[in-house]
Amino acid sequence: MPEDPYSLIERWMKARSFLVIGKSVTRADAIEKILGRAKYVEDFLDGALFAKMVLSTEPHARILGIDDSAALRIKGVRRVITARDVPGINEVGYALPDQPLLADKKVRYIGDTVALVVADDFEAALRGAEEVDVKYEPLPHILDPLEAMERTDVLIHEENGSNIAFRTKVRKGDVEEGFSKADVVVENEYRTHRQDHIYLETEAALAVPGLDGRLTVITAAQHPHLAQKIVAKVLGVNWSDIKIIVPYLGGGFGGKDDEGPLVAAKAALAAYLTGKPVFLEYTREESILVHPKRESTIIKYKSGATNDGKLVAAEITIIHDTGAYANRGPFILWRATVHATGPYKVPNVKVDGYAVYTNKVPQGSYRGFGNPSAQFAAESQMDLLAEKLGMDPVEFRLKNLLRPGDDTATGQVLEDSVGIAEALEKLAKVADWKRKRETYGKDTGRFRRGIGVAVAWHGISTSRGVPDWSNAYLKVERDGSVTVHTGIVEIGQGSPNSSHRQIVAEVLGIPPEKVKVVYGTTDAPDTGATHASRGTTVGAIGPFIAAAKVRERLERLASELLHAPVEQIEFVNGIIKVRGTDKQITWEKLIDEAYKRGVEVSATGYFFLPKGKFDDEKGRGFAYPAYSFIAMIAEVEVDTWTGVTRVTRVWPALAAGKIINPQQVEGQIEGAVAQGMGYVLMEQFVFDERGRILNPNLTDYVIPTALDMPQVMKPVYVEDLFKYSPFGAKGVGEMALIPAPAAIANAVAHALGIRFTQLPLTPERILLTLRGEK
Amino acid sequence: MKVRFKLNGKWVEVDAKPNEILLDTLRLKLGARSVKRGCETAECGACTVLLDGKPVYSCTILTPMVEGREVITVDYLAETGEIQPLMEAFAEHGAVQCGFCTPGFILTAYAFLKQNPRPSEWEVRKAVEGNLCRCTGYQKIIEAILDAAERMRKSNGNK
Ligand code: FES
Ligand code: FES
Repeated sequence: MPEDPYSLIERWMKARSFLVIGKSVTRADAIEKILGRAKYVEDFLDGALFAKMVLSTEPHARILGIDDSAALRIKGVRRVITARDVPGINEVGYALPDQPLLADKKVRYIGDTVALVVADDFEAALRGAEEVDVKYEPLPHILDPLEAMERTDVLIHEENGSNIAFRTKVRKGDVEEGFSKADVVVENEYRTHRQDHIYLETEAALAVPGLDGRLTVITAAQHPHLAQKIVAKVLGVNWSDIKIIVPYLGGGFGGKDDEGPLVAAKAALAAYLTGKPVFLEYTREESILVHPKRESTIIKYKSGATNDGKLVAAEITIIHDTGAYANRGPFILWRATVHATGPYKVPNVKVDGYAVYTNKVPQGSYRGFGNPSAQFAAESQMDLLAEKLGMDPVEFRLKNLLRPGDDTATGQVLEDSVGIAEALEKLAKVADWKRKRETYGKDTGRFRRGIGVAVAWHGISTSRGVPDWSNAYLKVERDGSVTVHTGIVEIGQGSPNSSHRQIVAEVLGIPPEKVKVVYGTTDAPDTGATHASRGTTVGAIGPFIAAAKVRERLERLASELLHAPVEQIEFVNGIIKVRGTDKQITWEKLIDEAYKRGVEVSATGYFFLPKGKFDDEKGRGFAYPAYSFIAMIAEVEVDTWTGVTRVTRVWPALAAGKIINPQQVEGQIEGAVAQGMGYVLMEQFVFDERGRILNPNLTDYVIPTALDMPQVMKPVYVEDLFKYSPFGAKGVGEMALIPAPAAIANAVAHALGIRFTQLPLTPERILLTLRGEK
Repeated sequence: MKVRFKLNGKWVEVDAKPNEILLDTLRLKLGARSVKRGCETAECGACTVLLDGKPVYSCTILTPMVEGREVITVDYLAETGEIQPLMEAFAEHGAVQCGFCTPGFILTAYAFLKQNPRPSEWEVRKAVEGNLCRCTGYQKIIEAILDAAERMRKSNGNK
């Protein structure tokens, strides 16, 4: 079949020498960002009305009435919008239909959006929001997920009949039989907490009615086509009536995947109802109160091994506090459930997952997506088992790590692209693991050094058989420059501005400067979301295939023009040559000829990721088309006087297929280590007895500064190519965050000889534990 | 009330409310959009400007307070070419991800390197402690600033 995507992928997978792939090409957007000229949502603000949210002050209550008369008396206030004004469908849940855009009958957490006030200026909107009088009938509220699971007298979503929003399971072999063979067994309960993304730019959207006949929303979202769907649904219009533009974003990390479409829908609703452009931006406090956070979990974990160091069984119960709405909780729970064993060969597995409603801010997408907490539990267990067996933690892991041909906990056989064992072996050498593991952990003075290891895996694409595809449009302009249109967005990760350009430039044999990527727009075909580490691995397949199609057409044309067989034609930095001769033609000339001779130089690239089936009833089957893997070693020093843990150095090793741009990959690793370290050591919310977040600001919710950071060493790469991606690349963006909590916690355990099963490892927790007060 | 101050080399006059923050005046009235809004509570440094040469958070400065004083943003230093070495180093080291924090880092680093052209790594970290970055983990930013210091020393030495 001509231009068949599989053969195009295969052809380029065989490439052994590269023009720009694998090089640290500077990203296209660096200079405009440095100079502050890159435009983020607020930078488009010019003469719009302002919207302000009225947020619930009750954790759980019936709404008896909303009185907007005082608000409407304020000069400049134009309109107060409530659930009743929604022209379309007031339901925006991603996984379950349980969440209104504007609360209608009930509110379910402090921070639920009840109304919008639209005014001529910001002050009027603010004062108007303060004057909206919401009458509540308080209902009993529940904050503890274990209590919520038990109770049926208080239901956060009555229609669900229980506070358990969703269940998952994985089954393999027979755990009882497995444990009967175990020589050592470890059983523990782990607890992890919510984390905020703290993207430096808060959520914002500017909705403009009537630009080119559509309602245009400039918004901070991670998937323009999802924002389009939600906005159209709320307004009751066709998707084609809505245009979404995602400009530069000041960070996303998953948070804007959840909240982005909602802030867009709120601004769009106000613009639709007033007929005027409307701007809505969350303050930092609103951002923290309203948007979904990293899951907090309770993980009960029992695992066992034989004396020769082989894992025999794992029995795991995962409880996610999903908060007021399911949001993406079920998907997050799936990921946690499927990854809970860690990347190991375990013959007998039983995992049960529960996502439980409580009256707190919802759980949502955050880099790692349910996996950092799962790997924290799995990797703490691995260290404890190694200890009982008297084995070195690296050696014990190597005995059990998945290798090509092994099957995972869901029973899926991984034929290839499984480089984790090699990565860990190399990493242990680079980090001088053996010597340090023996020397550290013996300090007795004030400062105690420790070194810890953790490995992790992360499935590429969406969980189970959920369809996933890539789609993009590419055209070569008549002057030879290239424009690519994609729905992938630029949240800081850089894929449109680095890897996409490199991939297209490589395939067309032209310098990356000639490639312009127009990203984040619904005017491109739906490329899927910029999440799940898929920006390059899945997202770039569309542009890649489009470029590969055009390349084949141009090769045929060049062969005609240069009178040489296609196999001898080479494209090198904008020159098309016949190998071994001096016959050549420039790229620009070739394109001009293509236009003159009727060769089409535009193409869409489309690829539907082949997947298998997962049987939800049996808890077995196909989970992901491939996994990215990572190993991490962390070195810490704990001050036993102050309880402060300093992470001094971190060594990463990635088995994530082809590395397209090493500098960008390092950037992703270093940034993820910072977020992972912040999560384990310092970041934590304080909730009051009504579920209100008491520290919704950067003064009391502390994230790492330049002074806190360890040195992140050059990564070890094992390029275990993935057969369905451009050049064999797998996902990178989330990877380094996933083992970071476990690696650091394992290092602290090594330093102090005390195992912590609850995060974060704040100075307070460490001091209390050291003093035996727990 | 009327407030007159020097912005990027030119005197400007604006009508400001007594409680108006300089960040809003700059962004919304004077179009200086390189100054970013990250928290409005003096915690993130995205809104950094130079006030009489010193980096300050423009979200905590009331506009009337800058009467008669000099405010500089990254736009001006780009025009004069003074941040060229920082710009090149940030781009080449991959110190930019989402870029929302970047203009703030550039201003803080610029003012710091003027005071201390030969800093240690620790001094650079200390100098930018008040600027948060959630994307990069700071490592490449620190490398870029150290490299920019060297580039600046070299070009000064050549003069
Ligand atoms: S906006 Fe001024 S410090 Fe954050
Ligand atoms: S690059 Fe995104 S906050 Fe620094």
